[in-house]
Amino acid sequence: MKNPIIYIVFILSVLSGCTKDFLDVNTDPNSPTDISVHQLLPSAERGLAAVLGYTNDARGARGISTVLSVYMHQIVVRETPDQYGATGSEFNINGSWKGMYSPQISQGSPDYVGCLQNTEILIQKSEAAGNLRYAGIGKIIKAYALSLMVDIYGDIPFTEANKFAEEGIKYPKFDKGEDIYPALLAMLDEAIADLNNTSAANTLVPSSNDLFYAGSTAKWEKAANTIKLKLYNQIRLTTDVSSEVQALLSSGKLMATTTDGLMFNYGTSISPEDRNPAYSDYPAGQKSNYISPWFYSTLKGYNAIFSGIEDPRIPFYFYQQLEPTEASQNTAEFRDGGFLSIYFGSVGRNRDWSQDQSMTLVGVYPAGGKYDDGGAEKIGATSGTGAAPLRLLTYADRLYIEAELINAGLANGDVEAVFNNAVAESFKLVDYVSSKAATTAPKLVGTAPATSYQEAIEMAFGEATPTKQLEMIMTQKWISSFGFSVDQYTDYRRTGYPILFDPNDPTMAPGGFVQPPINGNFETPGAQPLVPVQRSRDYPLSLPWPTDELLVNPSAPAQKTPSTYNVFWDN
Amino acid sequence: MKNTLFSVMACFLLACSYGYSQNRTITGTVTDEDGSALPGVSIAIRNTNQGTITEADGSYRLEADPNATLVFSFIGFLNQEIKIGNQSVINVSLKNDINQLQEVLVTALGIKREARAVGYSVAQVDGSELVRKSEVDPLKSLQGKVAGVDIRTSQGTPGAATKISIRGNTSFFGSNEPLIIVDGIPYNNRQVTTSSQTSGGGAYSNGLSSLDPNDIASMNILKGAAAAALYGSRASNGAIIITTKSGSSSPGRKGMEVTYSGSFATETIANLPDYQNTYGPGSSFTYANANGSWGPSFASRDSIPVWPDYLSAFPGSFPASGNIAYEAVPNNVKDLFRTGKVWDNSVNVTGGNEKSSVSATMSFLKHSGYVPNSSFDRGSIGLGGNTKLDNGLTIGGNFSYSHTNQAGSTFGENQVEGASSSFARNLFLGRNWNIAGLPFEDANGYPVSTSNAQYDNPLWAWKHNVVTTKNDRATGNINLSYDITSWLNASYRIGINNYSLFRREVVDLGSRGSGGLGTIKEQNFNNKEIESIFLLNFNPAPIGKFDVKAFLGHNVNSRDWRDQLTTGNQIVAPGIYTLTNTKTQVADASDYFQRRLWGIFGEVSVGYDDLAYLTLTGRNDWSSTLPKSNRSYFYPSASLAVNVTKMLNIPEQNFYGKLKASWSKVGRDADPYYLQNTYVINTPFLGESSASINPSAANPNLKPEFTTDQEIGAEMWILKRRIGLDLALYKRISKNQIAPITLPRSTGFDETYENFGVISNKGVEVDLKAIPVQTDDFEWNVHFIYTKNKSIIEELQDGVTLIELAGVLTDIRPVAIRDPEKGIVNQPYGALYGTRSARDEEGNLLINPTTGELIPALEPGVVGNPNPDYKMGFSTGISYKGFSLNALLDYTHGGDMYSVTVTSMLGRGVTKDTEDRETSWVIPGYYGDANTGTPLLVDGQKVPNTTAISTNGLYFGETFAINSATEWNVFDATLWTLREVSLGYEIPKKFLTKTPFGSANLSVSGRNLWYLAPNMPKHTNFNPESASYGSTNISGIELSAAPTTRRFGVNLRVSF
Repeated sequence: MKNPIIYIVFILSVLSGCTKDFLDVNTDPNSPTDISVHQLLPSAERGLAAVLGYTNDARGARGISTVLSVYMHQIVVRETPDQYGATGSEFNINGSWKGMYSPQISQGSPDYVGCLQNTEILIQKSEAAGNLRYAGIGKIIKAYALSLMVDIYGDIPFTEANKFAEEGIKYPKFDKGEDIYPALLAMLDEAIADLNNTSAANTLVPSSNDLFYAGSTAKWEKAANTIKLKLYNQIRLTTDVSSEVQALLSSGKLMATTTDGLMFNYGTSISPEDRNPAYSDYPAGQKSNYISPWFYSTLKGYNAIFSGIEDPRIPFYFYQQLEPTEASQNTAEFRDGGFLSIYFGSVGRNRDWSQDQSMTLVGVYPAGGKYDDGGAEKIGATSGTGAAPLRLLTYADRLYIEAELINAGLANGDVEAVFNNAVAESFKLVDYVSSKAATTAPKLVGTAPATSYQEAIEMAFGEATPTKQLEMIMTQKWISSFGFSVDQYTDYRRTGYPILFDPNDPTMAPGGFVQPPINGNFETPGAQPLVPVQRSRDYPLSLPWPTDELLVNPSAPAQKTPSTYNVFWDN
Repeated sequence: MKNTLFSVMACFLLACSYGYSQNRTITGTVTDEDGSALPGVSIAIRNTNQGTITEADGSYRLEADPNATLVFSFIGFLNQEIKIGNQSVINVSLKNDINQLQEVLVTALGIKREARAVGYSVAQVDGSELVRKSEVDPLKSLQGKVAGVDIRTSQGTPGAATKISIRGNTSFFGSNEPLIIVDGIPYNNRQVTTSSQTSGGGAYSNGLSSLDPNDIASMNILKGAAAAALYGSRASNGAIIITTKSGSSSPGRKGMEVTYSGSFATETIANLPDYQNTYGPGSSFTYANANGSWGPSFASRDSIPVWPDYLSAFPGSFPASGNIAYEAVPNNVKDLFRTGKVWDNSVNVTGGNEKSSVSATMSFLKHSGYVPNSSFDRGSIGLGGNTKLDNGLTIGGNFSYSHTNQAGSTFGENQVEGASSSFARNLFLGRNWNIAGLPFEDANGYPVSTSNAQYDNPLWAWKHNVVTTKNDRATGNINLSYDITSWLNASYRIGINNYSLFRREVVDLGSRGSGGLGTIKEQNFNNKEIESIFLLNFNPAPIGKFDVKAFLGHNVNSRDWRDQLTTGNQIVAPGIYTLTNTKTQVADASDYFQRRLWGIFGEVSVGYDDLAYLTLTGRNDWSSTLPKSNRSYFYPSASLAVNVTKMLNIPEQNFYGKLKASWSKVGRDADPYYLQNTYVINTPFLGESSASINPSAANPNLKPEFTTDQEIGAEMWILKRRIGLDLALYKRISKNQIAPITLPRSTGFDETYENFGVISNKGVEVDLKAIPVQTDDFEWNVHFIYTKNKSIIEELQDGVTLIELAGVLTDIRPVAIRDPEKGIVNQPYGALYGTRSARDEEGNLLINPTTGELIPALEPGVVGNPNPDYKMGFSTGISYKGFSLNALLDYTHGGDMYSVTVTSMLGRGVTKDTEDRETSWVIPGYYGDANTGTPLLVDGQKVPNTTAISTNGLYFGETFAINSATEWNVFDATLWTLREVSLGYEIPKKFLTKTPFGSANLSVSGRNLWYLAPNMPKHTNFNPESASYGSTNISGIELSAAPTTRRFGVNLRVSF
């Protein structure tokens, strides 16, 4: 004790001895730093579906169809997409853009859902290891996803996108849509070559973990070719694509059966959740997706489009919670027997009432919901299954594209035969989806209403002028693709069809009022009250860029005016 | 893996020895100047480590060498030294040290320093101030009492977290709360958040709620970084040093004292809005079963159809006609709530002798809130003691255990998909909804309300959607101290703070959340922290006029935490709330984190002739969370205190003044595992396992971040210490923050960790104390504090104009924003960012010509600043003989709040604010184009709006309340609160002589008795203190929170 220095020296020497390895505890024990392509592919595919279909935040899906189905007048909501009001800060626009480029956490589960970054890693890893089937699939996903982004937004980050991890690019520049398309077409060719590369090692190959085609190279090649056909068709107004489309149509490598379609499968499981996000109105207390009265009226044959021809797909498309003479929760704005909805652009006093147990909902075809057998049940969480696939590009679509190309003089063929095939295939698709969705729905194809509807449509088509035929092609395609609205939006901007409801059109809403079906509501015998409608914004020629991207990306352009900013193929 | 505890302990080995010499017995008594005995006076034998302490009657006895000198010292008195010589009885009268009254400060690491030597701000709060006011939360007790401290409450239900910040925010994403040290060991104050508080989370508590205020002996608040620099990393937001009774017992008090304190209080909702009872649900004066009370007047209609959900659940309970009377239920909101109760009982036992002491505390709190089925119970025991061995080694230790049990329901924004808030509609019920007068559950136990799809009946939700949290916290520490020589002391302390949380959240069968199928979440969270501190304390005798004090220390800290969260979906059998009773289970989290740090530090303080004191500190840390090459970092501080009184040679009775100045730098490391990119394993999808890259990109080159802090201040006392003033000005700059910069998503990532950005905090603190009247029997004292702090975003990463600080809702979120191009600079930390209405260049609103309503702006913007401009506290006390009356009024000026409750009250037309509605309105502004958000021009001129809208339209639509731009949902949260009033009586000792009691004190108190928020819509009576995000960094956002409470209580304190 007499010499404290000894103690100090002793203690300090003990202290310095204890630090070796003491601090080396910073390796994350919870998350891997590397992962197999087997696990990446399903993530990339799920991410793609999540941003293209409908939004269900609780399962990581922020889908752009939630906005575009309103713009394509199949769905009506009270939120900002009504009256074309979605701005750059709109939830689904931001969410689907983010999920497209990078994974984002889902609210209700520990999952991260996102497309392109996982795809990018998938391509790199599989190319490096010679697993070219994986690489080919990755490139098809990437090319397809980015083509839709161009279609939706015009200019988008492409050459510098998803390059942060390797090249440290923090602020990707926006490339021009017309420069991106050729690169995507080339990428699809590269993908097809990868799929068919027989000298590749392919030590890892996809199987059931491929949620589109269960690892089928042949189906992926058909998908790639059909995507090419679609892209050529989309640029036909600005580029001469006749030789390319002829080559594709005669290649024999396009989608040729229902199951060739690019369809993302969903399941019936509540937990872990794998149901179609469009099903989300079923478990929800407050439901938000009304069926557009315009879409409904078109299918019913109420308006001029298919006047007097009722579509037998209605019970597969919508579910009516009300009996025709059952009182609704609150006064209805638009009622037609058991059908209840609100108008696009409505400023009527009955628009905002809660009608969760009265409104008509999406049915088995778009969402895996309930087949409408007339039971008029109140919808709950398990009324349907949610297992309907998201139909991104189907054999029916391929036939409609072919019909359009023939109509435009860019391809040879019998337009009537192709169109009739397309409609018939659309009906088959309904049966395909309802069997996938594991519902008790009866078969549609071959029933008397189905046959007579197809005959009536065939007859009308045969009698129509080429312009009217184009309208019918686009309208049937619009009906068939209910549930996925990106291509509908592209088709509408390219061709002006189908004809959509416009509150400012005096023939559709004379004096700013629309008339719901006469005698449609038993509670108000005679005419239902007129509904005032309006549209304060013009039709958006592309969607505004997400504010969340513009705010943090100094390389981004200034926000556009959506009503005047057109995509390059839109002439 | 090596056991952390052992590896920390293995760093130490302490040896000790002892010696003795030939002595004589000395006895005596120590008194004050008036002759009263002074117990607890320390008597040291100079230049040895021996000594004793006087007993209760002031007497002492010790053995000492006749050549030795005795040093008598006691806080508040001047030291006195007496050479023994041939004396064997030494009686001493100590003189008051007018300077030193209460003026020993506890600084970093618990080291005591004379106030005059301290050059930075330290505030002390005595434990007794925390317990007498019917407040069970130690942080809330600080409201309005300490300058520079911002206390924010959250939900008004029991146990809900309280947020504390000192001198603003220093970190974008990290914790902005001070480091809390209890008995020398860091105390994890984290709020464990199970479900997002945006969409259905509970009113979670913060970690400090497991500490019993009855056991707190004192709280010392080290405000600036200089004060806290020695704690390193986590103290860049200041530090709160709490000493518990069991952790602070000191030898010398002979015998035993038992103190019992008990209190009972009742609690009610602080205030309800002034409801209108003229109009019922509907819109445009037409009835509908709607949320908004915009329907026909009650006078204009006799009956309405029974609400369909009630009718189908209870068909026999309503008239056969299917109609019921259409009438207002004026108390329908009030009747949902009850009177809560707080029972608090605590017993403290202390005892000891010359060399040893022991203290034990047991307490139990039972608190039920005004919301049915909400409660917070806390039981705790603590035992501490120390003893001085014959060989001179002092050994001490204390152990405590507490258990808390919190129950409550869900909150959040009911509109978010899948959410169910128990407060979804409570404060804006349709004026005829008789929720409390009708049954709330059907035969299946499912909720029934006016619209089951829209909201869960609150009475049902409180019973069924229950969040229960059980915390167990065990702390223990051992300390050893040894005087190696008279001027050198070595001490060592090692302690553990182990915190375990178990939480279960139930969304029951039938709730609108989880699609009616039921969900049960269970979370287990464990946090363990081990701290070891070795100190060598140099305390040499003054050399001439120089007085040098110094210490050198070594610190090891290890923290690890484990987080497991499992969600079970689809409850199988009703009424059983276990994971095994769910159909499927998903593991949401199963994570383990670990971080370690060690550092060496030292301080040298040099005083010159009581005139000036200069203190220098330095610390070097080595952290596990930084890259190896950057893991070592050093940071210094310097502070200066100048005694103006002495400099000017004024008698201290007339004027005492001290000037202080300090500069410091504090380093901070990262959180664990930021250095490597990782993948996230997703739950199976269609039976396929999958993984995704984590969009939070790692950075292997992180560096430590630094906060520099400058402070100047002055303390002065005049008129024989009757008036005292303490002023401080500070500036704190936090640079190179380790924070995720938000990346454009087109990079493929969401964020990457970098060192970037600058936040500044500048502020002023004033603390004024005065005793205007003081006589033998009567005293009147006043205390005023003022706090002003501005947290400003000075820099973001180049090219980045905005980072989102937390995700809340698309339309409202806290951000850090700086965009010189758009003129958006000097924005505060946590600015609220949201949608706005379009305006012309002169700021006039643009009006949609078709509707007469507003036009949404194309881009969002800053819509509010949640940080108050300044805060004040004014307290006063009067004591007369045994009576004392105290009151505290506090005031918060400014600070904005996004309030769903206020917006909904207006938008749903339920308060008197919107009762005048049979008129129409024209919003002042000009017609605009909704496509472009620009004015419509006719002949080059703007056209004034003349389109009229209804009152209903004014509050429901693209206007000013519901469905409007966010900017209209943000309100100024200026608030006056009468925080505390208490009246106490100390029963005179002479009345107690024939009782077993040594002392007895009885008091009545009230808390939050009155408030005024002058800038809130008048009849909403909304108290902006309620908030939704507990102690997280998100402030100024209220999503249908539970309102604040008001309490009345009686308190009894007796000692034996």
